[in-house]
This record gives sequence, structure tokens and C-alpha cells, in this order.
Amino acid sequence: MAVAVQPEPGAEKKKSSSTIARVGRYSLTRLVILFITLVIGVYLTILIANMGGYVDVIMKAEIRANTTMSFMSSRAVQQMDPATRSKLLEAMITQEDNRLGLNTPFAIRSFRYLGNALTLNLGSAQQMTSDSGSKQVRLIILERLPATLLLMGTSELFLFFSTLFLALALSRHYASFWDKLVIALSPTSTVPPWFYGIFLILIFAALLHLMPFGGLVDAPAPTNPVDFVLNVLKHMTLPALSLILASFFLTIYSWRTFFLIYSSEDYVEMAKAKGLTSRNIERRYILRPTLPNIVTQFALMLIGVWQGAIITETVFLWPGLGRTLFRAIGFYDTPVIVGTVVIYAYLLAITVFLLDFVYALVDPRVKIGE
Amino acid sequence: MADEKLLRVKDLVLHFRTLHGAVQAVDGVNIELDYNRAVVILGESGCGKSSLAKAILRLLPRNVEKYSGEVTLGGQDVMKLDEEDFRLNVRWVGMSMVPQAAMNALNPVLRVGEQVSEPAMIHLGMKKEEATQAALKMFQHVGVPADFLSRYPFELSGGMRQRVAIAMALVTSPNLIILDEPTSALDVLTQANIFNVLKRIKKELGTSFILITHDIATSSELADDVAVMYAGQIVETGDAGRFFTAPLHPYSQKLMASVPRLRGTKELEFIVGQPPSLVNLPVGCRFAERCPQRFEKCTQDPPVIQNEDRTVKCWLYQ
Amino acid sequence: MTMNNLRKTFQEIARYPSAIVGAVVILALVGVAIYTMITIPYQKAIELWRGGEDVWFMNPKNVPPAWFNLFTAKKQPVSFVINDQQGQMTRTVKTHSDGSQSITITYTFNYAYDYFPQDILLYFKATFKAKQPFASLVWITPDGRKINVTNFGVPNQFTYRVSQDSVLQGKLHGIDPQIALFADPKSPDPANPVPLKGTYQMVVSGVTWEANSDLSAEFVLHGQVAGLAGTDNYRRDLMVALLWGTPVALAFGLLAAGGTTLLTMVFSAIGAWYGGWVDGLIQRITEVNMVLPFLPILIMIGTLFSHSIWVILGATVALSIFTAQIKAYRAIFMQVKESTFVEAAKAYGASNWRIISLYLIPRMIPTLIPSLVLSVPSFVFLEASLAVLGLGDPTLPTWGKIIDDAFNQSALYNGWYYWILEPAVLLMITGLAFALLGFALDRIFNPRLREA
Repeated sequence: MAVAVQPEPGAEKKKSSSTIARVGRYSLTRLVILFITLVIGVYLTILIANMGGYVDVIMKAEIRANTTMSFMSSRAVQQMDPATRSKLLEAMITQEDNRLGLNTPFAIRSFRYLGNALTLNLGSAQQMTSDSGSKQVRLIILERLPATLLLMGTSELFLFFSTLFLALALSRHYASFWDKLVIALSPTSTVPPWFYGIFLILIFAALLHLMPFGGLVDAPAPTNPVDFVLNVLKHMTLPALSLILASFFLTIYSWRTFFLIYSSEDYVEMAKAKGLTSRNIERRYILRPTLPNIVTQFALMLIGVWQGAIITETVFLWPGLGRTLFRAIGFYDTPVIVGTVVIYAYLLAITVFLLDFVYALVDPRVKIGE
Repeated sequence: MADEKLLRVKDLVLHFRTLHGAVQAVDGVNIELDYNRAVVILGESGCGKSSLAKAILRLLPRNVEKYSGEVTLGGQDVMKLDEEDFRLNVRWVGMSMVPQAAMNALNPVLRVGEQVSEPAMIHLGMKKEEATQAALKMFQHVGVPADFLSRYPFELSGGMRQRVAIAMALVTSPNLIILDEPTSALDVLTQANIFNVLKRIKKELGTSFILITHDIATSSELADDVAVMYAGQIVETGDAGRFFTAPLHPYSQKLMASVPRLRGTKELEFIVGQPPSLVNLPVGCRFAERCPQRFEKCTQDPPVIQNEDRTVKCWLYQ
Repeated sequence: MTMNNLRKTFQEIARYPSAIVGAVVILALVGVAIYTMITIPYQKAIELWRGGEDVWFMNPKNVPPAWFNLFTAKKQPVSFVINDQQGQMTRTVKTHSDGSQSITITYTFNYAYDYFPQDILLYFKATFKAKQPFASLVWITPDGRKINVTNFGVPNQFTYRVSQDSVLQGKLHGIDPQIALFADPKSPDPANPVPLKGTYQMVVSGVTWEANSDLSAEFVLHGQVAGLAGTDNYRRDLMVALLWGTPVALAFGLLAAGGTTLLTMVFSAIGAWYGGWVDGLIQRITEVNMVLPFLPILIMIGTLFSHSIWVILGATVALSIFTAQIKAYRAIFMQVKESTFVEAAKAYGASNWRIISLYLIPRMIPTLIPSLVLSVPSFVFLEASLAVLGLGDPTLPTWGKIIDDAFNQSALYNGWYYWILEPAVLLMITGLAFALLGFALDRIFNPRLREA
């Protein structure tokens, strides 16, 4: 029987849009904001780096190298006498300096550097070279990125899903032995991953000779692709284990606390009253609403792990971004150091963006312009 | 034995364990309810009303200390059923619930249409489309527009959410719906609307209601019977009409005396003191301390006395 | 907070054994730190740590601590020194008519170990104007054999090492002198000799030629274990760094944690109080800070500018202020600021100070104190991390520096596990102590977590 709808005091909220449109619009907005943030961040990095004039040094060295190279390749020049040649070279370098604005006030210079940094035009290394022989900082760093992504990706994915599953299980057994155990072990997560790395190497490599000390693959690497992959996995075990152990128990504890708090919500009780199965309740009424929170926390943790991985890679001689940074420190190769920081800024910005994106996906309450 | 009564609650007990001691929220409650009747359970905050609803529906928290009694629904003692049996055959099929402040009672990340059709899919074995149609029908009953099916709870106003909650409670056509303070968080206009909806449903679908509230005025619209709860116990039951004109228990009398009337300039009364703590209950009649008519016998716990078709738990009526 | 509140809090803390353990360990560490700073003042510590050969000569290279012997059936020789302050030494001086002196120094010691030492040194000091004193060394074994070790003229300062004496080695049939001098001639397997246990003597017969010329020496045996903490490749006693690392780690951790927490609170208060563009600015700064890679920037600052621990401390705090914590504090501030009871308080003329202390601070404490305590371990480990990367303060002996040195010398591959384990274990203990206390405090101050 049809019923006349009585108008409610307090009119209805805005029309709900389809998920894709909502997430799409939100992501775009966030992308723009994030990009601005990234620009500011990289600019600050440059400012800090150039407080000692080092970016100037990098730029000037770059100009000098490039000019000299193109200069020396000219036939005419090779026939000049040394005195004239060097005078001409200096003049050309000064001209290049001026052209690229190196003699302009710092404020203007800094924007030029900013532009370079954002386009990943990071100059040439002083001493390091990439595997392909190039001295371009960008190549040196980007060559190393896949190794880091492999290690980080695997560890973090494993961490995310395993802790989620275990925390859910734990929340069902409040105050049980396992619960108390996890709580007791959660302080272990204040220890950084490289620390665990040292102990793991000590036990499994040095004493038990079960695992390799470090590196990506055995040298010489197996030619068979399957063996190669297996070998990489073997080498990845200990570093990944370090990264996982360093966050494992605290993460389980955090998620489990979340689940417990969220499971005391009224709508969970309603779901039980409605006669839903426990599994259904867990999935749709506890897990789903917590997801935005969990995703946020996880992304923040991820950002932390990016940095923790630097020394972990070093300890395990894992040929990734962190180890490159470490070597650059040893070589005192300023362009590579500065370049790596810029790349890390990019990686962080991407992580934050992904976080926002997934958040918008899971939480229907997210609207544009918040 | 075919039971004419829809619901018989006998000696229902629910105690909680807390840091301060055992909270005896429901302490030996007896209620009876016929088919197509609405009983309103009146009482102050903290008398155990909400716990009573949870006790009947077996929605127990983690810190249960004691849970016992008989709850006979449609002739079957559902207390004896195990969890899975109860879940499949009693929950929402036999009796459903409309909670207080439906904002928190609706899952914020699921669309309301889904949530309303869920019980139909589980208990009536319907497929998604069929269940959605059932939900739509319920929406019509309670007065929620059809396109609200795809909305999220946060997109609805308070009154709409409450209607959705009622629709959700109806979708499996249970014989009994328990409503816990369904309108206390809403404004008066919405309250009136909701009660109209409830009255209409009672008339059209023949549902019985247990309405738990402290709002005497509005609930009198719907009530056929009244039960008054004090300090975990039912102190008076009876037909609504006669209760409102002539309450028997001193507490009920005080309650009615505190309700303003539309006409007349009677001075409003109030009850001195506070209800007893459910952890530290007094010996004897629990209302004695505040009762203007107490006498020596009140140091003992009074029995439930039958007074025509009403019951009173008071020595005055022996 | 009243004394009553304080007492209640302590009673609460006492209910958690983990908190007690944490607190006790922290107090112990503080005690060690204070003790260290008193008994080994900063200058002396630097001297011991960077002093050079003069200081380090007494120690063997890369040996584990002496107490390792407690765990092995066969005992490694412990390093020791015999001079006029310790050990059995006799010194007789016979002056001759022509002004020359015959100086006989006898070092006596008992050797009861199952392995051979790393080295034997004699650290000579001589004073003379033109003519160097002369010294002749004789070694007397427990079974009465006398071995002529060497003789030479002694310059002002001279270190004689038995292991470096190739002539002696030749005399001893090519066997390393430090082994040959102790080898039991009756060893069952001549190819793998065992040391002869008993009382040994080294006799230094010296002659000085001039009137005011003098000759003195110290006898040093470099065993295979030494000291309470072992030594590193520079022969430094690791105990110095382990002890001094304590106040450094604690100071860095506490200062960084305290500074960051305080400033975060201040900035969030400013944002909440002034609102408007100030608030917005702080929010934006926080967002930008999230994109700045913390450790890489610290590394950049460390390599490009200064390794000084103060610079690093300052940069750390600066980069750690604008975090998500600001939002948490700000929320609390806003809640209080816009609450009706604050409005009421202002209405009845309560001073700002009263409002802050009565309403604001009690609300901050549950978030503030646990987060303060819990952030200490991460800062302690940060300092260690930077040291491991080679960016540690070069002047200070810190735990991270020990690990850094150890890594540079491939300690793990070479089996010098104690070198890494000792500072690592100390770092772990410190971190875990604060973590235990912090987690317990968190559960105390946030009952919601306790219920759940």
C-alpha cells in the first residue's frame, strides 16, 4: 500500500554518486594537492642541500664537465695551444654559467634547481657509475629502484595480510595466552629492522651456514631462470624477515585493538541480532569499517619502513636504493646523495597518494574538498 | 501445548561482571505478551530496561556473570536452543529489534538497502534481487523513498535512519519487535511520525511490540499493556488504559504524577532520592527507601500479587 | 597534578610488571651513565678512546672479554700488565763507580692457560743525553730453561714486541716467538704444541751509561681475552665506549624525545589557539613534512654539513615536530577550547593559567606521557643508525660507533661476534626498557585500550 512520504525536517543530503566518479574526482584533487606538496618538499630539500652551496658545486661541476667535453671534441680546438685553449674553455664555461643563470641571485637559481630536480635531471655523479656505465645520477639511482621495490613490496605485502589475518583471529580470543603473548612482544617493534638483520645474519649465516650473508644473488648467478628466481628469493629471505619482524608484533597488536574497539560498536551487535554468521559479521561489520583506519596506519608505517630499509639494505648488501645512498656517503658523492633524497621524496609522495586513493575507495564517507 | 501467548518471560536474570562488582541489571523479570499487542516497559535510566531487551534477544556482552530463566516464544523455550539454532530460527525470524539512536546501529560502510535485505537473504533464503524487493516493500510501509536503497547511513537524517531501522526489523515479518528507546534521539515531529508508522504496522501486519522507553507521554499512543521496571525488576503490569488512569504501585503513581497534563494546573511531583545502584541492591523492597507509603513489612522483598488482570509487586496489595 | 594523583598513578604503574621492569632498567642505565661520567670524565674518556698507541698499547687486538673463560673448559690467556703498580716486579739498581748503573728488572707471572698469547711487549722508557742505555732480555720458563730473547740499545721510547722479532723467531726454529716461548717441549704432538703451565720470568738486564740516565719498562702480555668487554682492532678497551655510550644514548634519546614532544605540543597549541591562517599554515607544513624523507635528509645534512651530534639532534627535532601527532594534540586543544566548561570558567573570571592547568594539562597527559616515553627508543636507535652509516659524531664514543667500526672490519665474517653483540645488546636493552614502560603507561592512561 503506497504511503505518502512525509517530508522530514532537515532535508536529505546530497545525491550519492557512483563509486568510480567519487573516487576519481577525489583522487584528482588529492593528486594536485600532493604534487604541490611534493614541489614544496623538494624545494626545501634543495634549500637544505644548498645551504652549504653544494648544489651550486654540483651544477658548476656539471657545466664544466659538459662544456669541456663538447669543447674538446672540436677539431679546431685540438689544434690550439694549451694556453689559448684553456682561456677559451674558461670563457665558454663562464658563458654557460651565465646562460644557465648560475650567477643570478640564489632565489632564482633555486627555482632552476627545483625544475631540474622535479624532472629528475639530477646531474652527474662524481665518482659512482651505473651498471650501464653512465654517470648520470638519475640512471644510477633508478637502476637500483627495482631491487628496493622488490624487497619492500614483498615484505610489506606479506606483513599487511599476515598481520590482518592474525589480528582478526586474535580479536576473537581476547585475553587468551596468544593475546598476552602478542602484547608482551609488541615492544620488540621499537627495534629497527637492521638490528634484527644483524642477529639473523649471526644466527643463520655465520653460525648455521643456512643462508647467505647478503647480496641479491650468488656470484656467479645461476643461468636457469627458475634457479635464478629461487636464488634471489633465498637471498631475500633474511632481509625481508628483518623488515617483517621489526613491525610484526606491534602491528598485530594495533590491528587487534582496533578490531576489538570496532567490534563493540552498536551496529556489530545489530548484525548479531539479525542472525548473521560470525564470519559474515567479521568480514562486513568489523573488517570493512576498520579498513580506512588500517589503510592509513599502514601507509604511515610504510613511510617509516622506507627509511628503515636504508640501513637494512646496507647490512645485507642488498643492491637497492638504500645501499646506493650508503655507498654515496662513503664516496662523498654529493650529486648522488642529493639525487637519492629527491627520489625518496617522490617515493613518499607516491605512497601518500596511494594511501589517499585506497582510503577513498574504502570509505564511502570521503567527499571532495575535505 | 499450543500457547495463546506470543511471549512468556519467566525469571529472566542477567548479571554483568564489572570492576566494581556484579551489576544485577535484570533480576528475575516476568512478562507476558499476547499476539498483536504492544507492551511498553517504563522505567528510569539505569533501571535495566536496555539490558532486558538484550537479555530477551540473547545479545550478551563479554562480561556476563549470570544468564538464566525461560523465554518462551510462540510456545518454544528459546533459552534452551544452542547458538546456531537460535541464530537460524529465532534471530530476526521470531523476534527482531529496533535500537536506540539508529546512527550507530547501521553499518557506516554498507548501503542501507543491503543492510535491510540482509536478514531476508539469510532467513528467508531469498536471492539478492528478491530480497531487495522485500526491502523496498518495507520502505513503503515505513515511508522511506525508494531511491534511498543505494544510500549510505550518513546520507540520511535521523528520522529517516530510524525508519530504515524499523523497515529492517520488519523485513522478515517477525511476530515480535523489541524497540529500545526508538525516538528518544529525535525531535517531537519525527517522534509523532514514527509512532504513526508503528501503529499502522501493528494494524496492518499484526506485529507485537515491546516498547522500552522512559517517555510515558508518547508511548501511551501505542501501548496496549504497560510494565513498570524498577531496579532490575518488574514492579507492575497491566492494561494500559487502566494503568494510566489508576496506577497501583507507589512508584508508578509517582511516575504518573510527574507527567504534565494538557489541561489543568496540577503541580508536578517528583520522587526524592535516586534509584539504587544495581551493584549494591538493598535488602527487601527496592523502592522502600523512596516510597512515601512504606511500612514495616517492606523490609522483606514483596511477592508479585495478582490484582484482577494486573500484577503488582507491593505489600500494599496483599 | 596533585600529589594524590601522582601517587595513584604510581600505584597503577606498579600493577604492570612490564612497567616495573622497564623502569628499573632505565634507572639502572641512568645510574651507569652518572657513574661513568663521574669515574671517567669526558676528557679522560676522549683520551682513552682517541689517545693513540700510548693508551692502547696495553691491549691486544680484537679479543673477546675476559669472562669468556667462564664458559669454556680450556682457558684463554687473559691479558695483563706488570709494572710498578701492578703485578710482580722487582727492580734492582746497582750503581758503579763510573756512574753507570746496572738495572735488573724481573717480571714474574703465573701462566695457567691452555692457549698461547697474542704477543708479549715490553714498553721501554729511557732518559739519557747522548748514550742510549742497553737492555738485554732473558726468558726463564717454569721448567728452568733460559732463553736469550734479545738485546738492544734503548731510545727514549721503545716498544719491543716478541712477535715482531724475526731474529728470535729464527732462534726458535721458525716458530712464532709468542708460541715458542711458552711451548711445552714435552708436548705430545710437536706440530701442535701446548703451553707449559707454571711460573715464568722475564729478566731485563739494563745498563745505563750516564749519570742521570734511567731505564724503566712495563711488561705487557697480550692474551686472547682481555678486560670486561674485549677490544677492537685499534686495541681499544670496548668498555670505555660501552660505558660512555650510555649517557650519550640516554641524553640523545631523552633530549630528542622531550624536545620534539614539547615543540609539537606548542605548535599544536598555537594552531588551535589562533586558528585561521596560522592553523592552516601549520597543517600545510605538516603535510609537506610527511613527504620529506626523514633519514635521507638527516644523512644529507650529516654528510654535507657536520657530524656534530648537536646539529644532528637539532635537525632530528626539527623534522620530527610536524607529524600526525600534531593533529592529535590539536584535537584535544580544540575540544577544550570550545568546551562549555572553559567558557564557564572564563565567565567566572578564571585566569588563563588556571584554565590551562585545570582543564588542559590533565587532558594532554594521557597522550603526552606515553608518546614521550615511547619515542625515546626510536631516537636512541636513530643515533645508532646514523653512526652505523658512518655519520656518527667522530669525537664521541657511542654504541653506534662501535657497531660502525665493527662493520667496517667485517666483524661478523671474522667471528668477532662480541664486538657487535655488546653494543647491540645494550641498545636493545635500552630500547626495550623504554618501550616496556611506554606501553604500560599507554595502557594505564588510555583505559579504552585496557578494556579492549
